[in-house]
This record gives sequence, C-alpha cells and structure tokens, in this order.
Amino acid sequence: MIRFENVSKVYARGARPALDDVSVDVSRGEFVFLVGASGSGKSTFLRLVLREERPTGGRVYVAGRDLSRLSSWKVPSLRRSIGVVFQDFRLLPNKTVHENVAFALQVIGKPRHTISTTVPEVLEMVGLDGKEKRMPHELSGGEQQRVAIARAFVNRPQILLADEPTGNLDPTTSLGIMRLLDRINRTGTTVVMATHDDEIVNEMRKRVVELSTGSVVRDEIDAVYGHRESILPAVGQTPVLDAPGRDAPAVVHRVQVTPEPADLEAERAAEAAAARAAESGDQQPAAALPAAPAVEDRPVDQRPVAQAPVEPVGPPAADRVPEPGSPDDVVQQVLREHERVRAGREA
Amino acid sequence: MRLQFVLTEVLNGLRRNLSMVVSVILVTFVSLTFVGAAALMQTQVDKLKGDWYDLVEVSVFLCPDGSTAPTCAEGEATEEQIAELEQVIDTELSTVVEQTYFESKADAFGAFTELYPDGYQGTQLTADDMQASFRLKLVDPEQYQVVDDVLEGRAGVEVVEDQRAVFEPLFVALGRASMLAAGLAGVMLLAAVLLITTTIRLSAVSRRRETGIMRLVGASNLFVQLPFMLEGAIAALIGALLAVGGLWLAVQYLVLDWLQDAVDWVAYVDVGDVLAVAPLLIGIAVLLAVVSSVVTLNRYTRV
Ligand SMILES: Nc1ncnc2c1ncn2[C@@H]1O[C@H](COP(=O)(O)OP(=O)(O)OP(=O)(O)O)[C@@H](O)[C@H]1O
Ligand SMILES: [Mg+2]
Repeated sequence: MIRFENVSKVYARGARPALDDVSVDVSRGEFVFLVGASGSGKSTFLRLVLREERPTGGRVYVAGRDLSRLSSWKVPSLRRSIGVVFQDFRLLPNKTVHENVAFALQVIGKPRHTISTTVPEVLEMVGLDGKEKRMPHELSGGEQQRVAIARAFVNRPQILLADEPTGNLDPTTSLGIMRLLDRINRTGTTVVMATHDDEIVNEMRKRVVELSTGSVVRDEIDAVYGHRESILPAVGQTPVLDAPGRDAPAVVHRVQVTPEPADLEAERAAEAAAARAAESGDQQPAAALPAAPAVEDRPVDQRPVAQAPVEPVGPPAADRVPEPGSPDDVVQQVLREHERVRAGREA
Repeated sequence: MRLQFVLTEVLNGLRRNLSMVVSVILVTFVSLTFVGAAALMQTQVDKLKGDWYDLVEVSVFLCPDGSTAPTCAEGEATEEQIAELEQVIDTELSTVVEQTYFESKADAFGAFTELYPDGYQGTQLTADDMQASFRLKLVDPEQYQVVDDVLEGRAGVEVVEDQRAVFEPLFVALGRASMLAAGLAGVMLLAAVLLITTTIRLSAVSRRRETGIMRLVGASNLFVQLPFMLEGAIAALIGALLAVGGLWLAVQYLVLDWLQDAVDWVAYVDVGDVLAVAPLLIGIAVLLAVVSSVVTLNRYTRV
C-alpha cells in the first residue's frame, strides 16, 4: 500500500538529510507505528506519502501510484484516498462539528445527499453522536481529535496517516483515540501513526518502524517502543547524576489524570456504535484493546491505561518505581530538588 | 452543492475583508471611468469627423467687387476666369478632386437666408453681398495642399480655404484630452491590479487553514482557487458597473441635457455609445481580476 524504495529527502542544499536511504514496505490493512526522536524524519515520511514533499532520491509508491511520476493535477485524487490527522487537530474554528466533517466532502464535490448520510454515520462511529452542532472550542481535546479523525475517515480512505495524534492528550484520552484508530484499522484501512508515546506503542503491539536521524534503525512486528536512552540519546546520564538529593528515597509521584467524563462518554458511545455495527454486519468487534474504562468503578489514582489485558511491557505505570539511575529516576530527582530549593527560598 | 458551497465561501470572503473589497471596487470604478471617458472622447471625435470632416470641402472663393487681394485687381471674377478655373480643376486636379460644385452668389444667398431668415445682425443683405465660390470635395481630405498650390494666386481667385482647418483645433483638443484620460486610466489600472493582487493575497492568507485542509482532503486546484478568483472578479465587476453608471450619468447630464442645449448643431455621444463601451469596461475588469488572481494564487495556494 505504501512503499519507500531508498528514499532520501534533503530540504536545503547542504543540510543533513531528513530521510536517508529509507526503504519501508507497508502492506494493505497494516497498522504501523513510526517512532523516533524529534527531528528523526517522521513527519517528513508522512509528508512524502501525501506528496506534500517530493523525495530528493528514491521512489515512493502509494496505493499503486508512483508518486515521482504523478503529475500535479492528479495529486488531489491521491489525497482523496488518504486521510490525515495531526497533533493540533486542525479543525475550522468557525464551523460546527458536522460542518467540519462535511467540509471534507463538500470541497471534493460530493453531492448533498451523500454528505447528509455519511457524516452522521462517521460521527456516530467516532462517538460524537448528538454533538454535531457544537463548535470546536466547546469540545475537549479528545473530542476534537475525534472530529479530526471523523473528517479524515469520512471519505473512507484506503490509508490513514496520523502525525502524533495523541501528542496533546492525556493518557486515558489517548487510549480512546487509539481504540478508534484500531477500529478504523479493522475496517481494512492501512494506518501509519507517528508517535512519541511509548505506552501506547507498548500496549498496541503493532509493527514499529524506528527512525533515527533519517534512517530506519528498527522495523519489528509486534514491537515495543524501545529504550528511552536510545530514542532520546540527548538525555545523557552523567551531568544529571550529580544532582543533589540523589540519595533521597525514590518515591515517585507520577502525574495522575482523572479522565474527563465527556471523553469517556464519547468512548463509550463509539464502543456502542462499533458493537451495533458488529451485530448487524461483518465487522468484528474491537477486542484487542481494553474495554472503555469506567471511571466510577475505579479508584481515581489507578490509571486505566495500566489495566491493559495485553501483557504489559513493564510494571503498571502507577506503581512503577524507576530503577535508581535510570532517566526516569534522574528526572524525578531533579524535579524534587527544584521543589526543595524553591520551598527553602520561600521559607 | 458545489455551486452553493463556492458561493457561500465567496460571500464569507467578501464579508471578511470588506474594506479591501470596497477599495478594489473604488479603484476599478475610477480607473474604468477614465478608460470609458477616453473611449467616449474618441467616439466623439469620430462622430464629428463623420458629420463634418467628410462634408467640409475646400472652398475656392472668387474675387468679389472691391477686393484688395492682388489677384483681384481687375475687380469681380469674370465669366472667362470662372470657366478657366473650372478647366484647370477638371484637368490638373482631376486625380485629387472628387466633386466640384460651383456656388454662385445667388446660391450663397439662398443658403444664407435659410440660416438667417431675419437678416444678419439687423442688416438686410442682398445676393450682391455674397461671394461666389467653388466647393471642392477631395478624394483624400489630407491633400488640401495640392489644391492650394494649383489654385492660389490665379486670376479671379481671392483665397483658397481649407474648411477642415476650422475644426482642426477642436479635434486636436479632444484627441489630447482622450490621450490624457487614457494615460490616467493606465496608471489607475496599474493601481487596480496591485490592489486586487493584495486583496486576494490577504484573503488567501486569512484562509490558510481552510485551503490547507482543502488540499489535504484532495480538493482540486480549481476548487481551492475559484472562491478567491470569484471574489476578485465580483469586486472588479461591481467597479466596472459603477463606471458604466457614472459615464451614463455624465453623458446624460453634461452632454445631452447641457451641451446639447448650448450648441445644438453638433452630433454628440449618447447613452447608446456608453452602452457600447460597457462590454469593453466589464471585459477589462474581469481580465484584471483573473490575471491578478492567477498570478497570486499560484504562489499562495499551490498544491
Ligand atoms: N520544511 C522544512 N524545511 C527544512 N527543513 C525541514 C523542514 N521540515 C523538516 N525539516 C528538517 O528535517 C528534519 C526532520 O524533520 P521532521 O519534521 O520530519 O521530524 P519529526 O520526526 O517529525 O520530528 P517531531 O517528532 O519533532 O515532529 C529535521 O531536522 C527538520 O529540521
Ligand atoms: Mg513531526
């Protein structure tokens, strides 16, 4: 479905290549995570698939089309077979949820009756039934991302590209978005998602392609995110290890997030829609991910993310105690030290 | 669906940069008014030429009684002199002169009494106060000089007069005025192009988000750009219509109601001429808008 053959991309003459001799083959219906540090070329990869950029070397094939030979007037037709989602949602602020989704169909000239049937369908699928008339600023981040996904998916593209779709969302909301992407993947849509979110990658157990300074350094099926040190090589250990307070007992306070009722509601609605669709049709229910977390039944401090039935890679996040000297630990220590110094100043 | 959608987009765009749209309308209005004025003045010149230029002949005035001109020393032109002049015109000037018409004193008096039935400035004149002349219609009106060379100074000829010379200053003045209007029109049109370009660019920048999404979901180039083009075209079109309206009013009140009353023997431009210029103005307006939007949009909303 997507095929990169020795693709290189150099933005400015003389600059370090953003992609360097990358060869990746994504088949129809696959779900692929694209991971790597900032600047490793993930967004560049996605832009090449969209033909927003042209490679400086090698060939890109998307949905059977050789993009280097694709004339520019055929680009719109290529993009109609690809949906895109971004970290910042990119909704139109002066249009309602319904209008935002309908916009994608209007501008490619779909007839009115098609729009009036498909838009409610896709909104139900993402769990936003009943919120059609809301404006984007009246929605939570998770809901906005659902609208963006609805807009990307409303034309039933063969490929869905997502560039850090959970980058602005808390872990629980992110999980809901992931369940949605997974469900979309199950309809046969190829999904490529660039992300920094290690927990999501670890839980989903999908194919992972890791980029580092423009090269593919890993391409594994059923993979995990990888070691922080190798992905974030800039977090060197030596300088921070000397931070004071290092011998303090390693009590870790991770940020606790109470899921927003609205997001949970959206997730449950999407779940119900999927179940209905499964009952009446051929679609298999989404079961690979944990069921919608019901916040009422659960102590607040327990992260629903950690309840995943898939085998967790490490201990559940809430009670995970970083090994002394690991980057997590170091970060916590530095934070605590800052706290202490500030408290001392204020006293 | 598509049409309605595009029109909604266009209306939104027009509303959003209202002040820029108004300035585009005004600038096209003024510039096209100048274009139209130049065109109308040219039409006026053509009309005058059509009415007068071709009809006006070279007049060869014959010696009257008591003329002081040296060729008239022998007094009033005699029958022989007249016959000889006719002979010369028929032979030497046969290629230049298309028609010859002899206006006797009696003919001149007839024409005179027709124009001034009650006498001229209170004096009753007779046929003897008139002057006989040859009226020559030339094949090419520019060849007056040839006629002058041949006939001037002959016995019995008092003076050879090119009647066109009477109208020449008027034509020159009108011609210069229309050149001036055309020059100003050129400057104003340039301003209009720049302003339309800026307006479209602003509009495109303020709608980057929309156009970005349009391109991502696979809207065709034309679909992305059409609303902007229409915006420019509509503003320019309104300017053109205002210009046509302004010229219409000017012709109606300045020319037909006022000038026509003052000097009624001239054929003036009329409302019909304004309507004939209208398609030209509208065409220029649309061309301006399309050219500036194509230039701008290719830079700002390319796929
Ligand atoms: N439009 C551009 N012009 C010039 N250089 C660019 C452009 N876009 C990206 N780059 C460079 O290309 C490299 C890869 O960028 P890219 O955006 O693909 O990284 P990324 O993996 O998506 O990073 P992040 O995780 O921060 O989104 C970077 O070094 C970046 O500076
Ligand atoms: Mg990126």
